[in-house]
Amino acid sequence: MTERSETIVQESLWKIRLKLWLKEFKRNWALFRERKIAIFGLSVIIFFAVFGIIYPLYPTIMKNVFWKDDIISYETFTPYDPIIGFDPNIFDHPSPPSLVHPLGTDPLGRDVLSMVMYSTPREFVLGITAALITVVIGTIIGASSAYYGGVVDTFFMRLADIVMLFPSLAILMVLSAFIELSLFRLALIIGILAGFGSITIVLKAQALTVKVRPFIEAAKSTGASDAYIILKHIIPNILPLSFLYMMLNVTGAIFTEAVLSFLGLANIRMSWGVIIHMAESSGYLMGSSIGTYWWLWVPAGACITLLCSAFYFLGRGLEEIVNPRLRKR
Amino acid sequence: MLKFLSKRIVQIVILLFIYVTIVYWLMEAMPGSFTDKYLMNPKITPEIRQNLEKQFGLDKPAFTRYLYYMKNFLKLDLGISFSHFPKKVSSLIFERLPRTVFLFVTATLVSYILGYNLGKRAAWRRGKILDKTATFVGIVFWTIFLPLLAIFNIWLFGVILKILPLNQFINPNVWRGTDLSAQNVFLNLLLNAFIFLVVMMISLIFAQRVKTVAAKRTIVLSSAVVTLTVSIILWTSTGLGIYALDIILHMVLPVLTLTLYSFAGSMLVMRDTMLEVVREDYVVTAKAKGLPDRVVRDKHAARNALLPLITNFVISLGFTLGGGIITETMFSWPGLGRAYLEALNSQDTPLLIGLLVFTGIFVLLAHLIADVLYAFLDPRIRY
Amino acid sequence: MLVLLSVKNLKMHYKTKMGYVRAVDGISFDLDSGEGLGIVGESGCGKTSVSMTILRLLPDNAEFKGGEVLFDNENGEPVNLVSLAESEMRRYRWKGISMIFQAAMNSLNPVYKVGDQIVEAIQNHFPDTPTDVAKKKVAELFKLVGLDPTRMEQYPHQYSGGMKQRAVIAMALSCDPRIIIADEPTTALDVIVQDRILREIRAIQKKLNMAMIYISHDIAVIAEVSDRIAVMYAGKFVELADSVTIFKRPMHPYTYGLMHAFPSVTGKKVDLVTIPGEPPDLLAPPRGCRFYPRCPKGDKLCEEKDPEYVEVDKGHFLACHHPVQPGEVVQFNAE
Repeated sequence: MTERSETIVQESLWKIRLKLWLKEFKRNWALFRERKIAIFGLSVIIFFAVFGIIYPLYPTIMKNVFWKDDIISYETFTPYDPIIGFDPNIFDHPSPPSLVHPLGTDPLGRDVLSMVMYSTPREFVLGITAALITVVIGTIIGASSAYYGGVVDTFFMRLADIVMLFPSLAILMVLSAFIELSLFRLALIIGILAGFGSITIVLKAQALTVKVRPFIEAAKSTGASDAYIILKHIIPNILPLSFLYMMLNVTGAIFTEAVLSFLGLANIRMSWGVIIHMAESSGYLMGSSIGTYWWLWVPAGACITLLCSAFYFLGRGLEEIVNPRLRKR
Repeated sequence: MLKFLSKRIVQIVILLFIYVTIVYWLMEAMPGSFTDKYLMNPKITPEIRQNLEKQFGLDKPAFTRYLYYMKNFLKLDLGISFSHFPKKVSSLIFERLPRTVFLFVTATLVSYILGYNLGKRAAWRRGKILDKTATFVGIVFWTIFLPLLAIFNIWLFGVILKILPLNQFINPNVWRGTDLSAQNVFLNLLLNAFIFLVVMMISLIFAQRVKTVAAKRTIVLSSAVVTLTVSIILWTSTGLGIYALDIILHMVLPVLTLTLYSFAGSMLVMRDTMLEVVREDYVVTAKAKGLPDRVVRDKHAARNALLPLITNFVISLGFTLGGGIITETMFSWPGLGRAYLEALNSQDTPLLIGLLVFTGIFVLLAHLIADVLYAFLDPRIRY
Repeated sequence: MLVLLSVKNLKMHYKTKMGYVRAVDGISFDLDSGEGLGIVGESGCGKTSVSMTILRLLPDNAEFKGGEVLFDNENGEPVNLVSLAESEMRRYRWKGISMIFQAAMNSLNPVYKVGDQIVEAIQNHFPDTPTDVAKKKVAELFKLVGLDPTRMEQYPHQYSGGMKQRAVIAMALSCDPRIIIADEPTTALDVIVQDRILREIRAIQKKLNMAMIYISHDIAVIAEVSDRIAVMYAGKFVELADSVTIFKRPMHPYTYGLMHAFPSVTGKKVDLVTIPGEPPDLLAPPRGCRFYPRCPKGDKLCEEKDPEYVEVDKGHFLACHHPVQPGEVVQFNAE
């Protein structure tokens, strides 16, 4: 028989919470690791993150390797500047990939690799900002709709219906005509537009399953205010789903920006979409030129695809953790 | 069921009105809209100007103009285009409508059929080769940069293999000798395709009644073959064959691109839903009854997984529409999507509003069809 | 009476990330035609897995590890179900042995009419049966189980819980099986309906002279319907005997504990027995008797050596080193 003894919990609360959280994290990580698709996604994202961070090193390395004897030229023309660069040593721009320019140059003489690298952090910022805004709006609306029900609920659901009626790309195209769509503004608009749409419906459905659980009733009976319940009880329980949707929204945001830039409608100086736009408007994507000038569209297009699919893979990997019914035995 | 439908229709009409209102005011907010553009157009004589002002209330305050617009809208008059003056917006839309509808409907149908089949098979053999490959390939196509896919397809099929034309609707050289309208030939093709669809649906219904798999296959295959042969004979005998062929060849790449791009959407949803359905008791019961594996998969599991797929279709409409705009632009396909971009570039506001409004109608119609389909497939709603 | 089903040393393990779960670990029994065999045990002891193994309805991660399932298929030749190819096995499913699942209301596919689902089973095993003939049979079955035959044309969601249960029973009878396995057939129903359905099942069984295997954790249910009872613990049978013996003269301490865990409404007031502890982890079962950790009669022998499953009396099988003696009172120490 066990002896009953008094034990006083020695550790502080935050330490215990941290340990519990770590244990949960390790378990989810083990689950996550099994999904090769998710690992693939994560690796690609990390790769691009690193790729973007080391960008400043690139011109420095190239300068020291290839331009040692020609510093003056380098300083004047800054051949590796993604926006105003120009390589005077090459006659014909766009030039195919070479040692000096691993991905060749574009019609204006700019180094393609540096354009691609420069755009990377910007794509991240755009994608994550827009997705974050969408998820914050969607979560708050979803939780409030579920909790309050009634007029609030109907209003937001009808609003979502209307928002979903608008083809988002078309609306953005129209907006581009009278708002200057700089990177940050575009992220904001994309984020807000998506925030009121289908994500609210999904998150509300999830919040409803939380709302009917007994502990909500318990919290109410101890006098918790509505805001407190929503913030501290409902939202944390739908957060995993929100996080999942955030990944999917990053994909959409990056894609939307790329399309807008490609069509020449956005006011962004340099992004992957802009690179392809430059190729198209200079006429290098006609007929047989497509194959000849491949470096003008393949690298940028591949980057967009890779990063978008990486976030999507990551999202699907997370889905298996968040939705236990999809788990393998 | 009728009650359900009529309630839905009322909801949809209300939504439509709100939508049109928002679109209208959105356009109003654009700089240099309506009034200035109309009045600055040199082609407008004073008489026409007066008529326009009367019809659209151009000299009246903004809100009155809105009311005029709504009144005209109810008469299905969406105004007169700026860039294609003096053509009416509605006639422009209807001219281009069939081409976009065809592209859209074909791509959607094919991608859903493909997605349904792949999804159910992938989920049935979870973790095996088919599942992993289909999921991976599907996601890659889903997230691929659409212009990239389009450029790649043009390159592969048009430049390297040289079997398909690069873009456009028709090849002007082929049509030079005749005074046939491409539009008419196209419309006839559409009619043909529609009849084909109807025949196939009827044959599918008959196939349901028959029991053996072999009989089902014979019915479906023979009706397909017969219809196709009859169509080909009709076209070649009237000498319109080469024209029809020209149009068809031009349609392949845009349809292929849009289909590849969208199929993963339905496939992934189907797969996810199937994975849940597979764990249901009635699926195990079906297997316990001694039914063959395929019957359990298709008749019991997939049939239930079909329902969320329809809901998904509605949600993903916006996505497919955006894809349609891009595809039409990339292939210079003269449909509504491209018209949208042109209208944007030439600041043709009435056309823009008209197109957006029309898109809204289209989307709402799709909602309605999806609701009907869902009610038809799920007996829990009907009874 | 012939031996209809003979299960010999059946073993099936589930493969998981953490190893093999030994869910069915050497099960043996014979079933005569017309007999009702009850299998009783705690949740998780593997009872459902036994029936799924016999019918081969196991998920992908289940691995068959040995044993035989001999089914008398009327040509005189018993066939070993575990050695059959899938396409052959299909012929025995439902027609030879059918099943009523736990929470049977979910056994009906929501998008098809109830009648059609039964017709499907009939036409699958008797392909030349015209639909109207099959529907006539369905009508008869419905009457047998107490359902209005016109309800054939309705959908499952239009039935109540008890009605769905009856429909599922009708479906299980539809191909005239020789054995029906009923897995917790009444758990999801309220007590009154439960009682009624049980009596009806027993009546049908007697009327059609069918063999039945009842699986439940509920002794009361098993007592009502079984001629013989098998007590299952941690993947193995610990005792098998006719119902009267099991109740009046249980020999295994676990059986004893189960029998005395019930208050008697009419009998003396006695203290309820509870068996402390938990069943062993089937991933790594102990090498000795699996009940040893909870058994008041356990000793070193029990800890080291797993007792053999032998016939200690006519028709009475037991796996125990220290059976309960007649008149002995076994004390389970409460914690």
